[in-house]
Amino acid sequence: MYKNYFKVAWRNLWKNKVSSVINIVGLAVGMAACIVILLFVSYEKSFDSFHGENIVRLNEVQKWPGLAAPQKVALSMFPMAPAIKAEFPEVKDYTRIKWDDKYQFTYNEKRIFVPEVFAVDPSFFNIFNFKVIKGDALAAITKPNSIAITEETAQKLFGKEDPIGKIINHYGGDTLKFTVTAVMANVPKNSQLQFDALYSLPGIHQKWMDNWGGNWLNTYFKMSPGADLKSFEAKMPGFLKKHLNGDGWKYYELFYLPLKDIHAGSTDIGLDYLNFQKFDQKSTNLFAIIAIIVLVIACVNFMNLSTARSADRAKEVGIRKSIGANRPQLALQFLGETILLSLLALVFAIILVELALPYVNNLSLRGISLPVFSQPLFLPLILVGTILVGFISGIYPALFLSSFKPVKVLKGSVETGKNKGALRNVLVVGQFTSAVFLMIATVFVVKQLKFMQAKDPGFTREQMVTIPLDRISGKGYQLFKQQLLNNTLVAGVTASQDQLGSHLDQNGVTFQYKDSPKKDLAATQLIVDNDYLNVYNIKLSQGKNFSTEKSQNGREYIVNEAMADELLKDHPGATRASLIGQRFGFDSLGVITGVSKNFNFNSMHYKVENLFLVNQSEWGFRKVSVKINAGKSKEAIEFIKATWKQINPDHPFEYQFLDDHFAEVYRADNQVSKIVGILAGLAILISCLGLFGLASFSAEKRVKEIGVRKVLGASVKNIVMLLSGHFIKLVMISNLIAWPLAWYAMNLWLKDFAYHISITWGTFLFVALLSVIIALLTISFQSVKAAIANPVKSLRSE
Amino acid sequence: MLSLQHISKYYQVGGNKNFVINDISLDVDEGEFVSIMGPSGSGKSTLLNIIGMLDDPSTGYHYFVDQPVHQMKEKQRSALYKQYIGFVFQAYHLIDELTVYENIETPLIYQDVKGSERKAMVADMLDRFNIVGKKDLFPAQLSGGQQQLVGIARALIAKPKLLLADEPTGNLNSKQGEEIMELFRKLNKEDGVTIIQVTHSEKNAEYGSRIINLLDGRVESSKKF
Repeated sequence: MYKNYFKVAWRNLWKNKVSSVINIVGLAVGMAACIVILLFVSYEKSFDSFHGENIVRLNEVQKWPGLAAPQKVALSMFPMAPAIKAEFPEVKDYTRIKWDDKYQFTYNEKRIFVPEVFAVDPSFFNIFNFKVIKGDALAAITKPNSIAITEETAQKLFGKEDPIGKIINHYGGDTLKFTVTAVMANVPKNSQLQFDALYSLPGIHQKWMDNWGGNWLNTYFKMSPGADLKSFEAKMPGFLKKHLNGDGWKYYELFYLPLKDIHAGSTDIGLDYLNFQKFDQKSTNLFAIIAIIVLVIACVNFMNLSTARSADRAKEVGIRKSIGANRPQLALQFLGETILLSLLALVFAIILVELALPYVNNLSLRGISLPVFSQPLFLPLILVGTILVGFISGIYPALFLSSFKPVKVLKGSVETGKNKGALRNVLVVGQFTSAVFLMIATVFVVKQLKFMQAKDPGFTREQMVTIPLDRISGKGYQLFKQQLLNNTLVAGVTASQDQLGSHLDQNGVTFQYKDSPKKDLAATQLIVDNDYLNVYNIKLSQGKNFSTEKSQNGREYIVNEAMADELLKDHPGATRASLIGQRFGFDSLGVITGVSKNFNFNSMHYKVENLFLVNQSEWGFRKVSVKINAGKSKEAIEFIKATWKQINPDHPFEYQFLDDHFAEVYRADNQVSKIVGILAGLAILISCLGLFGLASFSAEKRVKEIGVRKVLGASVKNIVMLLSGHFIKLVMISNLIAWPLAWYAMNLWLKDFAYHISITWGTFLFVALLSVIIALLTISFQSVKAAIANPVKSLRSE
Repeated sequence: MLSLQHISKYYQVGGNKNFVINDISLDVDEGEFVSIMGPSGSGKSTLLNIIGMLDDPSTGYHYFVDQPVHQMKEKQRSALYKQYIGFVFQAYHLIDELTVYENIETPLIYQDVKGSERKAMVADMLDRFNIVGKKDLFPAQLSGGQQQLVGIARALIAKPKLLLADEPTGNLNSKQGEEIMELFRKLNKEDGVTIIQVTHSEKNAEYGSRIINLLDGRVESSKKF
């Protein structure tokens, strides 16, 4: 029986090539989109899945006075972990991680940068599963001056030599020596923790162990099975009260995140430095929903085309019933055809996925592959999914077709009648509503992204090159600066502790307004060279810039307007100008010399925070910023490099354009906008495929009518209008439905940005026009073909 | 074999009932060859469809091999139909996407006959109708007479007790028609298949052992030979 069905199915697919191609292409594209997104989702879910259970990260909510709002951070204090373990039995183990990026190691004559080195507690391996290839990794993190390095690092440092037992030195301000005791496998890409070497935290950083107050590391706990995080968290205020001096406990809350939730569920947590490729769960979910919508649109195509073409199959249904087939058998036959069709589509989908993955990986920076053989569950899952897709698209047509009464259809009267047409209209409107919605969303997402990147941040971002400094190269900064400024390729040189374009470190400061009592508060700090504001073209609204006199170094502060308003909160009526000369700073030794205009040192997702700048050149800067003259950037970079080599002969030269850094800041936004845009494009493509199929069907069905109309004097234009009008009406109705939905959704989405575009009607009209034009182009081919056909021919055949 | 009692079929048009079949009672015994005649619109085809369970009467009682069809559910009716009835159409109604061989085989598939058995039965039928050479052709590649032969072969493959034919020769020329009628006679006489045919042709009707004349949904006359 199935062989017979299969043959008929195959021959039918062959006979109706246009609708078969539309169905297969549509389904293949929809399925490919779904598979890619499924792979992406499962890759995201795989983050940190290779560790054990009951692992949590300690996080803080900081509520220092002076902060615009309480902030969640991934950081914690050095003594917290041992104290918590000692006091709470639900904690079985802890490890703290103190990281150093751009660490330099030397071995004999060789010197390399490694991106990330972790100092950890001895329990690190009780909590995390990272593979050791050889040697004693536990010794590396237990004994002082021992180290475990990854394969990649070993390769870079030692080449083919056996690293075990070799001694390597830290190159930099200190003279740390490490004996390599173990080689570890490279860290999997789906790990939030990415490191190149591990050494013992208590062994090296002894002096900080009792430092309550500094938040410079991450803490992870292994909890006992079944421990209740809620009740554990509830004990934390008491814990803080016990350990922090004075009112300190009031400014913190502690909370815990399960390890597996950290990658995708900590978007609201800042200063989250070790969370590799952190990506919002909401975006992942959004992709999944849109991908499913795209697939459903493809399924709808199938329903529409097969019910529209039901007349073709009606006779067969009648015959089969008259020779003994019952309805379930027929329904099964038609369902089988759809499933066959979706399996065919799957083959194409897999090819499409294979073709698309390099691009997807390039966009998402992930290593997603098609696990056809590597994951035993993948293939069955995809097959079941495909059969389900076939079932969903085929069940309605199957029930519809199998319901035909043989007497009627054999007489030639098939009801593809009014009701079925209405259902098709509803389905087409559904398709186009989704497509238009996605198009509107794409336009707004892209506009917002453009807006964020183009909005004046209040400082100069263009032609700005940043170069990292370490403790050694930092010493040559002044000389480097002087030499650079001698050349006309360079317009300005300055330096700072941090780079603009992210959250900056915060610090506690003291402020005293005239004779009022002193006040302690926290704010974002930016330690800068005295010409920073000039080079970055940051405007002052009150007071004056840092003086160049050495004696004033570290004593002058400039606050931004947000900070100024915060400082004046308790002094109503006082002007910002009145802040000039007030005592402010660490230990209130300094004074405020100026108030700067607000500038967006962080991404436009965030409001400008309260910030103070201090000119303190003795603490050493970590970033040089060089403003180069436009038009000659290549020469300028060459010149900077040569100068650098001259002053720091044994330091590699690294640089980045600040614009590129900001592109990285907006990378997640960029990824989201691209993926949404692509899916929207697919949605419209598949919808149009369906429209094309329906238009060709309706043109075919009305051949005779068109012939008669032409004989009666209708022009080509009349006929095209007649054939297209109906579909265009449907597309316009879709627009009307999609608009309010899109308006609502976009309002919701834009709320997440502190600085965002406003929703204008222009976009809606633009998308409406675009969708009508696309639909017109799609159907006009069929309409025009039908309209210019010779009526003599079409009438003769009747 | 079958018995229709006070069968009517009507359509509601406005407030009026528009009768296609108006209170017909009819008994057909096993082995009979009945020809139903009458002008267009007299209800011949409808009557045949009701007998063949392709159509439901509006009122009346319908017994087939002593079972009350009018009380049956679709499923039971379909089972009964599959077991006893073969249908031949004026327009042949072969499945265009299937070859001659596959068209003939299809009813067996619906009766869950095993593959090897099906092969034998279809081969036998092809042989009997002399169309072995055409078995891999599609209907569109055959002449009308050949198509109707395939249609009859298909109707007979499951060894029905009752063969219903709706103007089987209506689309054929007289020579082809005669051949089909000879075939029917042979089936009736030699294999004992009960046949009910609808026809316009006086000549074809006379192949039957009984002729029933319909007019406006009623039996006008009935004569046995």
